[in-house]
Parts: sequence; C-alpha cells; structure tokens
Amino acid sequence: MDTIKQFGLKILDAFKRAGIFIVKGIPLGIYGFFKSIVFAIINFFKNLKMAKEEHPESFKRGLASFFLMGLGQIKNKQWYKGVPILSVFALFLIIELVTGGYWWALTGEIAAYPAEGELHFFRDYGGLFTKGLWGLFTLGAVTTYSTYRGVDIRPRGAVFGWDRGDNSRVLLGEGVIVLVLVALFIILWIVSVRDAYKTHLKVAAGKTIEDAKSFYKRVSEEYFAYLIIIPALILITFFILIPFIFSFMVAFTNYTDSISLGRELIQWHGFDTFIKVFNPEEDWFKFFNQTLMWTLFYAFMSSVTVYVLGLIQALIIESKYVVGKKIWRTIFILPWAIPGMIILLLFSNVFGADQGLLNNILASTGSTEGFREFLEMIGLVGQESDGNILWFTSSANAPLARTIIILVNLWMGFPYFMLMITGVLTTIPKMLVEAADIDGATSWQKFKYLTLPWVIRGTAPVIITTFTFNFNNFGMIYFLTGGGPGYPRSEIPTSLIGIAPGQTDILISWIYKLSFESTVNQFNLAAAYSILIFLLIGVVAIVQLSRLKTFWEEE
Amino acid sequence: MAKYSENRQKPKSTQDRLKGYAIKAGIKKGLAGTFIYGWLLASLTIIMVPILWMVSAAFTDTENLNAVPIIPIPTRWSLANYQEIFTYTGSTTQMLPDYPRAFLVSLGVASLSTVLTVIFSSLVGFAFSRYRFKGKKPVLLSMFGLQLFPSFMGMIALFLLFNQFGWLNSWPHLSLIYVAGSIPFNTFIIRGFMKNIPLSLDESARIDGASNLQVLRKIIVPLAAPILGFVAVDSFMKPWLDYILPSILMPENETVAMWLFRVNDNESQPYNPMLFMAGGLFIAVPIMMVQIYMQKYVVYGLTGGAEKG
Repeated sequence: MDTIKQFGLKILDAFKRAGIFIVKGIPLGIYGFFKSIVFAIINFFKNLKMAKEEHPESFKRGLASFFLMGLGQIKNKQWYKGVPILSVFALFLIIELVTGGYWWALTGEIAAYPAEGELHFFRDYGGLFTKGLWGLFTLGAVTTYSTYRGVDIRPRGAVFGWDRGDNSRVLLGEGVIVLVLVALFIILWIVSVRDAYKTHLKVAAGKTIEDAKSFYKRVSEEYFAYLIIIPALILITFFILIPFIFSFMVAFTNYTDSISLGRELIQWHGFDTFIKVFNPEEDWFKFFNQTLMWTLFYAFMSSVTVYVLGLIQALIIESKYVVGKKIWRTIFILPWAIPGMIILLLFSNVFGADQGLLNNILASTGSTEGFREFLEMIGLVGQESDGNILWFTSSANAPLARTIIILVNLWMGFPYFMLMITGVLTTIPKMLVEAADIDGATSWQKFKYLTLPWVIRGTAPVIITTFTFNFNNFGMIYFLTGGGPGYPRSEIPTSLIGIAPGQTDILISWIYKLSFESTVNQFNLAAAYSILIFLLIGVVAIVQLSRLKTFWEEE
Repeated sequence: MAKYSENRQKPKSTQDRLKGYAIKAGIKKGLAGTFIYGWLLASLTIIMVPILWMVSAAFTDTENLNAVPIIPIPTRWSLANYQEIFTYTGSTTQMLPDYPRAFLVSLGVASLSTVLTVIFSSLVGFAFSRYRFKGKKPVLLSMFGLQLFPSFMGMIALFLLFNQFGWLNSWPHLSLIYVAGSIPFNTFIIRGFMKNIPLSLDESARIDGASNLQVLRKIIVPLAAPILGFVAVDSFMKPWLDYILPSILMPENETVAMWLFRVNDNESQPYNPMLFMAGGLFIAVPIMMVQIYMQKYVVYGLTGGAEKG
C-alpha cells in the first residue's frame, strides 16, 4: 500500500509543483521578459554610443543602411548583398505605392472633398502597409450608412474606394497579416544595418571580406537549410501564427456577435475581458470557476483511472495463470484501435434516453426502477420523472453524466496504458526477480517493492502528458454528452441564457460553444479563455520539455 | 517468517510437508485463477457488448435502436442500412451519394496532408539534423511554442482567413492547416531519428559528388523509412476523423466525420442512428486492423520516439 500511497503523493506533488510554478512562474516570467527588454534597449544605446565614438567610419556604414536598406553594403563594395536587400526595400515601397491612393490625394481629391472632422489619411489613401497598420490600431473609423467627406458611405464603395464602410473584423485580420510582413521587413532592416557595420569593422581591421563568388557558394550550400525550411515556415506562419496572433488580439477587444459589423465598429478594450473573467461579481466568474474546476477534476481523474486500470490489466494478462495472452491482449486493445470519435458517438447511443442500449437492457430485465433508486441512493441521480434514466439530459443528473464521462474515458483509454505498461514490464531485469525469489519474497512483496516502483519510474511522465491531453479533449465532451445536462434554468442569469456552459462542458468545449453555437457568440471571452488554457498547458509542456536534455543540446 | 519458525518447532515428515504445500498451493492457485478469469471475462463483456451491439445495429433493418438485438443474430441480418448509405443522395446536384462522397472528401484531405506532412517534416527534420545556420535554435523553439496552441483555438481567425480568400469548402486548403499543425511535432521526431544516422554516410556520398538533395533522397530517406512510416500513419489518422475544423471551414462540403455526426444528431435531418452504426463500422474496421497491426510501433513512436528527440 505504501508504494501506491507514495505514488499518489508523487503525482499530487507534481501537480502542486506545477501549480506553484504557474502561480509564481507566470508573473516572474512576465517580469523577466520586460526586464530583459528594458536591459536590451539600454544595452543597445550603450553599444550604439560606443560604436559611434570608437568606430565612426563603420558607424556611418551602418547608418547608411539604416536610412536606405542595402546602401551600407553597396558602400562596402558588397553589391551582391546590397542589391538584393535594396530590391526587397523597393518591392515593399512599390507595393505600398501601387496599392495606395497617393496619386489621387496629390491631385486634389482632398481639396474637392474636404473632411468635416478628422481626415483619416491612411484610411483613404494608404497602401497595403500603412492602411493595414492604421486598421490594426483604430479598428476602423467610418461606419456604413453615415456621411463622410460629404459622401454617403455604402457597404460596397462605388466611386472613391474610401466611400465604403469599415469592417473592423476584416481590418483586424488584414492588420495582423501586415504586422507579420512588417515584422519581417524590420528584421531584414536590422540585419542589414548590423551587417554593414560589422563588415566595415572587418575591412578597417584589415581582414578580407568574402567576395561575390564565395558568398554565392555559401548561400547555395550552407543556406540550403533555409531553402528547405522556408516553405514549411510560411505554412506555419499563415495557418498557425497569424490565427494565433488574431485570437490573441480579439481577447483585448469587445468583439461579440451583438456587434453588427459594418454598422458598428469593434473597439480595443484593453484588459476588460480578463477583468470580466476574474471578477467574482460578474456572472461569468461563477461559470468559469465551475467549468475550470470540473475540467481539472475530469482531467485528473481520467488520467489516473486509465493508468491504474491499464496497470491492472497488464499485470493480469502477464500473470502465469493466463493462457492465450496474445488473444486477450488483442481483445483488450480493441477500444483503443477503434477511432475515438466513433466510440464516443456509439456511447452517446448506449446512453440514449429513449433509444439506448443501457435503458433497453434495464427495461427488458425489469430493473430500471431498482437501478434508478440505487443511483439516487449514492447521489448520482436526482431526476424527478419516473421511467427511463435520463443519462445526459436531466439537469439534476449532472453527477451521473460526469461519472459516465470518466467511465467512458476509462473504457477507451486503458488499453494504451496496458500496452505501454506491458512493454515496461518486459524490461524488468530477470536478475532482480530471481534475487527476490531466492530471498523468499511473496508475490505481493515482489509486486510492491519491485514491479510497481519499476513501472512507475518508467511511465510517470506519461500521466502528465495524458493530463494535458485530457484537459483539451474536446471530442470527449462534445460527442458524448454535448456538454449536457445544462444548469437548471433558475441558476442561469438572464444575460447568460444560451451562452452558459452545460454541466459537463470542459473549458475547451465551452470555448467552442462560445465561438460558434451561442445565441450571442462571445468571441472576446472565447479568446481570453484560450489564452488562459494556452498559458496553463504551455507551462506544463515547457516544464516537461526542459527535462528532455537532448532537446536543449543544440550545437 | 512466522510460518517458518512454526514449522521448525513442530517438525513434520518431509512427505507430509510436501503434501500440505501442494494442497495449499492448489487452493491458492485455484482461487487466483478463478479470480483472474472472472476478471478477464468481466472485462471481456464490458468491452465487447457495445462493440457487438454496434455490429448488430449496423446489420439490422430497423429505425429504432431498442429493436436491435444486443448480440448479433445471424438470421436477422440485413444489408438494408448499407444499401441506404450507399444510395441516399441528399442534394440533386451531387454526382455521388452522401456517404461515399463524404468518404472521398475525407480520403482526399487525409491523403494530401499525409503526403505534404511527410515531405515537409522530413525536409525540415533533415535541415535541423544536418545543418548549422543562423537562427536555428530560435526557429526550433518558436516552432515548439506554436505547437502548444491547438490549431482549432485559432478557429475564428481561420474561418475569416478562409472566407477572405474564398477557400471555404475547399478540401486541399483545409489539409494545409493539418500540415502546418503537424510539422513541428513530426519535425522533432524525425530530427531525433536522423541525428542517429551516422554523418560518415553523408560525407562519403558527398565525396562521390552527391548534392544536398541527393544525400537526402538516396541516403537519409531510405534509412529513416521506419520513422517516416510512423509519421505517415499518424498524419493520416489525425485529419481522417477530425470534426471541428471541417465543420467550420467546409460547411457545404461534408467530410465523413461530419456525416457521422449529422446522422447521429437528433436535432438534424435525417436523424438515423442506424446509418451512423453502419457507416461508422465501415470506417472503424480498416482502421482497427491497421492499429492492431501497428500497436507496438505506435506506442513506441509516442513514447520512445518522442523522447529521443
């Protein structure tokens, strides 16, 4: 028993440490982040001053590239570097000019259509980049069906391009894409300034700098790596990074479905959403709190139960009494081999209220009554209606629905652990077992002092991985119960009808409902919750990753 | 210990002692055996009843789940459900019936993302295991960081992006999301594996005049085939029955997961859980076989393979 107790304590300890890490680590991490930024800025100016005083000529080359990307390289007689950099700059400039309306602005349109109030120059005449950034900062200024510069604003602009209402959501999206492009541009700019400065330092010190031929050779050979990872990076930027930044930003706006885009604008709201999440006086807080607690409980229970059952099954199949181990194992693997979605939908039918396997069995054996009373006695069921057991639909049966979720998870999840633990069992050295036999250990003693510690040592980290997986296991809830049963009507404030989570919703499934299935979709809250999950799961994953030494050993 | 001292105090004849042990051991063994087989049979029942019920439902011609026998009865078998799913067409503009069409769309998404994932992650893994270049570690770390953000959390943004570019309902674009999402993790696995391939092999190939790509194609890829196989299976399974992304990004181009969810959802039309049973079983059987065949391999890939990286 001691070992099991120790094992339990160990897990609790791990969670406690993770908790402390999160509570202490996040503020510390944010503090450290800003501190290092401040220090980096101070250092930057120090170095800049030093460079200016000690190497004025090299500093000038850097300065040349600062004012015109690539100029410093050309002055360094490295035209093979300067020209490509310069042409990137030219490309950005051309795109900005071609997509902008600067020509119209200069030829008198501003005078012909004067603004009554503020003239939004970049809105009306900016190119891809300036207009994108303008949109990102303001999220729009002119709404449809208003008048601006003496012109009626329509959903689709007809004449000028600026006589079209602003759609904040589109502006935000385009703004994020532009932001990424501008960030890349700025990185190239910084690289070019540094390169111009450093190359001249080398020249001044009398060292040879690489000529065009060796530069090309290096680019084509060593930089082959860049060439093959860039397509993948573009994909990741477009489909992961940009959506990530977008969601991140939505959390700081007031964007919900109650805003009709075009007629109304989304606005930046700072930390309002997060205050709403954590303010105990808001209705949201109660549901967030309950959902988070259930999510943690569910993730914890479902990780531990599958582990324990997996261990039991592995030990039983491996015991000397069992013949046909391979057949048993193959049968027990079935729940893992069938795709999870199909199993979950299958179980949603097993626990159907009107047409369901279990209610059918209970009814045909005449034990519905007895079973329901038994469940009532142990506190899982509180439904008022007689007859069929409403597994997922009666709000008084929430404990039952939650228990079933954990049981179904156990049904699907144990085979994986059984397989893994069986694998670990085979690695126990024969010598140890024989030594134990010679010392006259009973099989219980062998299990307690040899098998269990060995298995736990080999597999404990996987429990944490399983925990994080379960924490975000959307399908488990959505396909099985759909989040039901809902909270009783009396507990839901009027402002949250159609938005509140169900009693078995975990955070991730609630986020999905908040974004796509509510009566009024709460995009900003969904985004804020996503960020919280990201922080929580990210911290756990980083702690785990830091243990993998090989990962950090990068030459 | 107590037993031993007892035995010493009251010495018995050897034969008596052996007999006693044998009986005790026999009882013990019998009890343990009974318990273990009881446990195994109970597990067997709990595992098999829902599965058999599904099989039974798939082959029973009825509209009500309550009429389905728990254990399949051969005399009542009928292929009516399969006939229905392979012929029922919801919309007249479609060339194919709903189910086969959804099946093909899913197959397209999963196959395309498998091919692209294997190509991209072996290229990136190759770059990270064989080359030194500026920004290697930051890129690796940020790739890992991005991977922590489940791709469907950026759903709203992806929906807008797809809407803006007119990619809604287009399955090749959908599969690009899966590719982007699975590159980081698979890169780690492949990089770990490739690092263990001796550098001397590359060098000797280069001396013979092989280019970068030739080294990858002719030396590294054949040697890394096992891990690439694992990556391929993994990146096929993930999109194959994914529900959330297609349900948002392909509202009018049904995948098989969406089909399964739709026919099983009692708020949608047509609701018929029998069709779900039949269609689900049809998909589950081949996947089940692959999984059983690959069990050791998959468990290895998820634990050992990842830790190697």
